[in-house]
Amino acid sequence: MPKSHTPSTLKPGIPKPSLLKRVESKMFIFAHRKTLVLLDGEYGSVFKGRSLDFDELRAYIPGDEVRDIDWKATARHGAPLVKSYVAVRRQNVLLVTDTGRNMAATAASGETKRDIVVQALGVMGYLAHRHGDAVGLVHGNATVTRTIPARKGEDHLERILREVDQHTNLDGGPSGIAHQLDFVLRHIKQRSLMVVVADEFLPGPETETLLRRLHSRHELIWFTVHDASLASEPGAGETEIPDSIDVADGAFLPALAVRSEAVRAAYATASREREARRQDTYRRLGIAEGNAGSSHEVVPALFALLEQHKTRSQNGGIQARKRQHRAG
Amino acid sequence: MELTYWWILPLAAAAVASSCWRLVRAARKPASVRPVAHRERLTALPEYQQAVRRHRRWLTVATAAGALLLAATATAAARPMDRGTFQPETRNRDITLCLDVSASMGSTDAAIAAVFEKMAKEFNGERIGMVIFDSSAVQLFPLTDDYRYVAEQLETARKAFDGDASGSFFDGTGSGEGSSLIGDGLASCVKSFPGTGNAGRPRLIILATDNYVSGKPIFTLEQAAQLAKAKGIKISALNPGDYDYGEDKTQPGAALRAMAEASGGSYFALDNPDAVPGIVQKVQEGEAGILQRAPQAVISDNPVIPLSVALLAGGVLLLAGWRLES
Repeated sequence: MPKSHTPSTLKPGIPKPSLLKRVESKMFIFAHRKTLVLLDGEYGSVFKGRSLDFDELRAYIPGDEVRDIDWKATARHGAPLVKSYVAVRRQNVLLVTDTGRNMAATAASGETKRDIVVQALGVMGYLAHRHGDAVGLVHGNATVTRTIPARKGEDHLERILREVDQHTNLDGGPSGIAHQLDFVLRHIKQRSLMVVVADEFLPGPETETLLRRLHSRHELIWFTVHDASLASEPGAGETEIPDSIDVADGAFLPALAVRSEAVRAAYATASREREARRQDTYRRLGIAEGNAGSSHEVVPALFALLEQHKTRSQNGGIQARKRQHRAG
Repeated sequence: MELTYWWILPLAAAAVASSCWRLVRAARKPASVRPVAHRERLTALPEYQQAVRRHRRWLTVATAAGALLLAATATAAARPMDRGTFQPETRNRDITLCLDVSASMGSTDAAIAAVFEKMAKEFNGERIGMVIFDSSAVQLFPLTDDYRYVAEQLETARKAFDGDASGSFFDGTGSGEGSSLIGDGLASCVKSFPGTGNAGRPRLIILATDNYVSGKPIFTLEQAAQLAKAKGIKISALNPGDYDYGEDKTQPGAALRAMAEASGGSYFALDNPDAVPGIVQKVQEGEAGILQRAPQAVISDNPVIPLSVALLAGGVLLLAGWRLES
C-alpha cells in the first residue's frame, strides 16, 4: 500500500471532521467531569518517578498553561500565580494497535471495532497531550507494520487517529498484533507507556514471552475491544442476529444456524471460558487489562485500567522486593 | 409421453434462470450482513457444526424439492399427453335366427328367442335378423343393430312361441304347400343376408328345426346349404327332435348334422329347451366376429405423474421450510 507512507492524505480543500473532536465530545458526554479529572490524575500517576511535586508559585508569564494557574493563590495574591513543579519528566506514550482486517469487523455494541479503537487511542492520546507527553503510534497487520514517531500536539494526535482510522478497513491485511509487539520490542528502546489496543486476543506461548519482555522494558497496559457476539445468549428469545461474514475470508455465517438453543448455550459457555482464560493470562503476566464493547464504555474502562495498573505495579514492586528478600 | 405445449419448458427454464440470476445478484449486495472476526470461536463448536449440517441438509432437501416442484409443475403446465394407437374393434357379425315354427318347435323357439332377447341387450356392432318359416318363410325383422327394437321383437316372438300371442304372429308362414319346408326356410334365411357374395363379415344362421319335411320344398336342404356357402354363411343347427336310429345318413338328424358341419357350423341335438342358452353361448363364442379396424391415433392428457410429483415435492418443501425455520 503506497499510501501508507503518506499519511497526510488529508486534503486541505476538504475539511474532514476532526477525529479528535469526536473523541473529546464523546468523552465529555459519557463521562462526568469528575471522572475526567480523576482520569487525569490516574494518568499522571501511571509513571513511576514522574514527579508532580509542587515546587513553588511564580508569577504568570504569557504562554504558561492556564491550567497551571493556582486560582486560590491568585485570589489571595491579586495577580495570577502559576504552580511550577520539580522535574516534570515528560514521557512518551506509545500507542500500539492492530489495524488489520479484524478491527474493521463489528464490535460487541454493533459499532465497528475501529471506532472503539479510535476512541480508546483518542482518550489516551488526549490525556497524554494534557500532560504534555509525546505520543507515538505503531500499528499494522500481519504483513506490514507502520509507525508514527512520538511527537506532541493536537495535530499530531489527530494525525495518529486518522492513520488508524484510514488503515483499518475490510480490505486490509489479516490481523497479527504479535507482529507489532515484536516490532516495538526490537525498535523502540526508550521506555514508554505502551498502550496496546486490540480485540479479544489470547496470547500464545510465544506472544506471552514477548509480552513479558515488553512488560519489563515498558509500562505496558492492554486494552481489549470486545468482539461482536456470534450467537445471542441462550434463553434470550428470538433476538435478531443478522447473517454474518467473516472478515478473514468472507465465509458466510447464516444466522439461522445459530438459532438453536444448544448452539447458543455452547457458544455462551465457550465465550465465558475464553474470557476467563484471557483475563487469567493477563493476570498471570501482570499486565493490566481493560476492556470495552462500545465507545461509550471506553472512558470508565480506561479509568479502571489505569487504576488497576497503578495498584498492580505497586503490588508487583512489593512482590518483587519480597522475592528478592527471600532469595537474599 | 409427449408434451402438448413443449415450449412451456424452455420458457419456465428461462424464468427460473432469470429469477436465480436476480437472486444471486441481490445476494451479492449484502443488505444486513455484518462483518465479524474470529468465526472459529463459533464454527469450531461441535454443536454449531451439527446445527449447520442439519441446516445444510434441510436446505439441500428444500432446494431439491423446490426444483422438483418447479420442474413438475412446468411439465404439468406443458400438458403431458399419451399418444397411443387404438385399434377399434367391432363385433360385426350378422346373425339370422332361422326358426322353424312348425307345431313341434314351440318351446325350443321360445328358448332361443329368450336367449337372444337377453343377449341383444349386450350386443355391440352385431346385427340380428329373424326369419320364421313353416311352409313359407316370413322375415320378422331384417338384420339390424337397433337392439331395443330387436329386444321388443324377440319378446313378442317369445310370447308367441309360448302360445299366448295374438293369432297374427304366425301369419304368412303357412301359405306354401305342406309344412316344415326346411330347405325353403333356410334359403329364405340365406336370402335375408344382403348381397350375393361373401361380405367379409362373419355370418351365422342359427337354424332351429327338427328337419321333418312334409311337403315338397323348392330347395332341398342341400341346395339351401349351397346358397349359404356361396354367401359365406355358417349354419348352426339346433334340433330338438333328433330321433335318428342307426347310421343312416339320410335320416333327418344326420342330414341336418352333415349340412351344418359342412357349412362350418355346429349341430346340437336338444333333449330339452333348457339347454338352449348354453348352446347359444357356445355358438356365440365360437364365432368371434371381431373386426379390427384401421388403427387410430389417440391423444389423451396424462398429468397424473407430474402433478403427483409436484404434490409430493410441495409437501417436502413445506416440511423442509418448517424445519429450517424452527
